[in-house]
Amino acid sequence: MQYEMVAGFETHVELATNTKIFCSCTTQFGGDPNTHCCPICIGLPGVLPKLNREVVRFAIRAGLATNCHISNISKMDRKNYCYPDLPKAYQISQYDKPLCENGYIQLSNGRKIRLNRIHIEEDAGKLIHKRGDTYIDYNRGGVPLIEIVSEPDIRSVEEAKEYVERLQQIMRFIGVSDCRMQEGSMRCDVNVSVRPAGSDKLGTRTEIKNMNSITFIGRAMEYEFNRQVELIESGGEVEQQTLRYNDAENTTSPMRGKEDANDYRYFRDPDLVTIEVSDEEVDELRKTIPELPFEKAERYVSELGLSEKDAANIAKYRKIAEYFEAASDGVKNPKTAANFIIGQIFRRLETEDDKESFEIRTTAEQLKELIKLIDEGKIKNNLAKTTLEKMLDTGKPVTEFVSESDMADLDENALAELCKKAVESNPKAVEDFKKGKQKAVKSLVGFVMKESRGKADAAAAEALIIEIIG
Amino acid sequence: MVTRDDVINIARLSKLYIAEEELDDMTKAMGDIVKFADTINNASEEGVEFDNINNLRNAFREDEIVPSYDRDEILKNANDIDEGHFLVRKRV
Repeated sequence: MQYEMVAGFETHVELATNTKIFCSCTTQFGGDPNTHCCPICIGLPGVLPKLNREVVRFAIRAGLATNCHISNISKMDRKNYCYPDLPKAYQISQYDKPLCENGYIQLSNGRKIRLNRIHIEEDAGKLIHKRGDTYIDYNRGGVPLIEIVSEPDIRSVEEAKEYVERLQQIMRFIGVSDCRMQEGSMRCDVNVSVRPAGSDKLGTRTEIKNMNSITFIGRAMEYEFNRQVELIESGGEVEQQTLRYNDAENTTSPMRGKEDANDYRYFRDPDLVTIEVSDEEVDELRKTIPELPFEKAERYVSELGLSEKDAANIAKYRKIAEYFEAASDGVKNPKTAANFIIGQIFRRLETEDDKESFEIRTTAEQLKELIKLIDEGKIKNNLAKTTLEKMLDTGKPVTEFVSESDMADLDENALAELCKKAVESNPKAVEDFKKGKQKAVKSLVGFVMKESRGKADAAAAEALIIEIIG
Repeated sequence: MVTRDDVINIARLSKLYIAEEELDDMTKAMGDIVKFADTINNASEEGVEFDNINNLRNAFREDEIVPSYDRDEILKNANDIDEGHFLVRKRV
């Protein structure tokens, strides 16, 4: 029998506010243990939490960028559970009145992954297990989170990966989070179930907790899908449970039985008053949502003539997209800028983090100057490429490396002269070419390019050389 | 009805020390508190919106950092500490 994967995501995203959700301690990552703490975030009795206004704004912006309805009225609730990462023995979260509801994220195949809700809550502290003892650092306790809950609309590992990537890009573009999965500022719980292909019933699901890498999410889902299919095929039943993914072995193992919502004994937090958001405020926040990466990519293709792949690769990173737009603004051929970015510049930015932080020495204005020289036919592509490398090495403008004489056009006589010289000084290549080795002509063209310091038109030179050899 | 044993038990759970001679007073006081809290059961809920009884909305704080506490202060009430962390010992 053919089986279909059904998956949904609960994604926690740490918000990039300056301070924690209910107190004025810094949210900065790291720091010595328990140095970003106060009586509120370590849960001493009798303290009064006070909601950070910016948390509400960030969450609404996240909702708007994912097509959510923003609730005019929402409130905070206590979710009770007893574990040492939570000093109050309850987490302040939102239960039945979340800030944002009913959104969606559209994938490149056109499918919409519906979002049930986005709510705000506090992060827990960090537990470090050593020799059976537990060390607790509450620096992270009280850092604001949004939890983005999707419907079980995801049907494959590819869709899952794209969903997480798009979510990550959106949150970065609107500046609500850096979404660094390896630092834990974005973490996913993945619900997976299987059903016979074509069925519209949902199977029993398992939940893989706390995934912090897109690669591992893919592997864990693959593993879990196969495990459930094998279980059903051999006459067994999938048990609803919470799983941990072991990346070293690429397996999942049970953590604990799934608690029902009732076990958390949710009730309204009496210390925190109702949150009311006016339509005017929502409209104001809507104006702050920039053009999103997929919208940018579409525009790069339709208006600037980029290939879909190049457009997506540039639009994916906020700083690179801005750089590309500035460097290609007003030039004849925006594709030149795209080629330089994906070629020369990307070679210097190896990791995703490098691309995300995008620290290079050449400004967009400097790149534009170079492109304009190409547009005007003053320098040829080869010279432009080597010049860009020098610019990137030094941060100096194009005029430092390209002189007036470089820019002067090579006239026909000079080109003919150089081609003749190429043929005369490379008898071996000429011989090879005559014997039918077509490639040999390339080394002769190379000679001309070198002699002319990249100014010659390669195609014209090739034609001329072939003519001379006869 | 609050008993002496209840008070001893609650004190133990809350990690509070209560002297033998304080127990009788404490038991009576606890009984009074519970009785007082009980009066809420006599209130009528008709036509009352409990969700927002004080009519307060949007009590926000600005997103400005205030220096955190000294770690020594933070760890002062901990049962056990090690290397700047709260420590929960292995249970046997």
